[in-house]
Amino acid sequence: MNWTRTARAILAFVVLVLLHYTLRPLLGWRTPVDFLVIAVLLSAVRVRPGAAALIGFCTGLIADSLTPSAFGAGALAMTGIGAAASWLKAVFFADNVVLHGFFFFVGKWAFDIVYVMTERRMQGVELATQLLLWSPLSAAITAVAGIILLLMLRPVLEPQAA
Amino acid sequence: MARAVRSGTRVDTVLLVACCVMGLLATVLPVNLREAIAGGLRRTVVAPLVSLQQQAERGRSAFLSREATTSRLDSVSLRNMQLARLETENNRLRALLGLARQLEWGFVSAEALRSFPIGEDHQRMLTVGSNAGVEAKTPVIAPEGLVGMVLSVDPTQSIAILWTHRDFAASAMSADRSAYGIVYPHLSDSRTGEDIPPERYLLELRGVAFRTALKPGTQIVTSGLGGVYPAGIPIGTVLGELQTSEGWARTYLIRPAVRPPDVSNVIVLLPKRIEGQSLERIWRSAASADSAARKIAAAGDSIARRAAADSLRAAEAIAARRVADSLARAGATAQPGGTPAQPPARPGAAEAPPAPRRADSARTVRPDTAGRGRRP
Repeated sequence: MNWTRTARAILAFVVLVLLHYTLRPLLGWRTPVDFLVIAVLLSAVRVRPGAAALIGFCTGLIADSLTPSAFGAGALAMTGIGAAASWLKAVFFADNVVLHGFFFFVGKWAFDIVYVMTERRMQGVELATQLLLWSPLSAAITAVAGIILLLMLRPVLEPQAA
Repeated sequence: MARAVRSGTRVDTVLLVACCVMGLLATVLPVNLREAIAGGLRRTVVAPLVSLQQQAERGRSAFLSREATTSRLDSVSLRNMQLARLETENNRLRALLGLARQLEWGFVSAEALRSFPIGEDHQRMLTVGSNAGVEAKTPVIAPEGLVGMVLSVDPTQSIAILWTHRDFAASAMSADRSAYGIVYPHLSDSRTGEDIPPERYLLELRGVAFRTALKPGTQIVTSGLGGVYPAGIPIGTVLGELQTSEGWARTYLIRPAVRPPDVSNVIVLLPKRIEGQSLERIWRSAASADSAARKIAAAGDSIARRAAADSLRAAEAIAARRVADSLARAGATAQPGGTPAQPPARPGAAEAPPAPRRADSARTVRPDTAGRGRRP
């Protein structure tokens, strides 16, 4: 294992988690950027599916600790998208910005779907509005932010060799 | 190799299933257990992140509320400016009270309103007229000194000219009576000396005997000659000598004691007060008009203090009477069976007997405080 690369990946993960708890509340957008999803997705493609699931679970649990009413929903959703991203990483080996953006978009949308369905708080029109309007918008913004961060962190985050 | 891959896949699957099961379990945990786990995370691992989030949200709130904060600050500043103006006005009114106390009789106080706000700022409309005994050519004074003279009088109001008016003139002298002259408004700057800047709101003391030299800072007061202004009203202080073509007399530039913008409440001297009366004792032995004004203000303060003490004594007497009345009523209600009521207590709470205690008053004592008094 290349320890330098691992340390860089951990550093990038920590930076993204910090951004989630500083930049996101500072912006205060209605469709916020989900830096935790970006962090989990970028980490998941560098580890095995089991480790990705564990990373997703821990990250989701941290996020859930601030929303006790939906405790576990974030952990479950993050576990799912982390494992799925790790299994599907072969698809995104190509260093293509559009593919990465699509990767972030699908990951965030899938996270929202799993989270909202597990949370079981919304129903009917509210649920449809959330999943078909706000979640795609948030996913799109997360994808744009993910691409920008990927370009900025490219010197740090080099894709793992096949 | 294949076994290692299969083993790795099995571990991945086990981890994934375990995470999913734990996630599902977390969603169906009892609320108290869920809150306990979440609270433990918040207090340990997530605590720094929560702190960061709070600071970020606080920064965003501060950023969003900056306009409201600015407008609130502006309002406070505006109110502060108004407070300063009110304080100044209060000081002037107190000084006016002091002057009235010094004068004792033969005057009326009035508000000086700006009747000509545009262009002409050398007149004031006074809120007293002939009904109050005011006549034309009576002097108008303020705590600092001479303001001007009444020009015309109506029954309820009158118009006065300030010393800045071009028709203003007053017979004046130095405070030590060593020099006499006539004070006019300083209207032209053509005769101004090099050291004295041309200003509209200054006075000139003309006709001072050539042999008499006045030093800057010398106080100039009314001389009482001419019968319009009684002697001793401060007019101003000497700034310096003006260069004139007249070889037989000197002319001095005077800094007035009263600033026209400060003229809002004035005192009009009535004709009886002017006849043969000198006002020197009011501003006598004062080194300058400012110190005289301070003394007059101090007199106003003593009046205010005395009024406050009087009102305090009156309030205490009223309170004592109320206590006595209530005690008398309480005595009457405590002895309903024809027993004569207690005589009314004398005023003074310290001398009043204790009020009779109600039979059920013990119920109103809190159980936790009832026992405190019994402890040694």
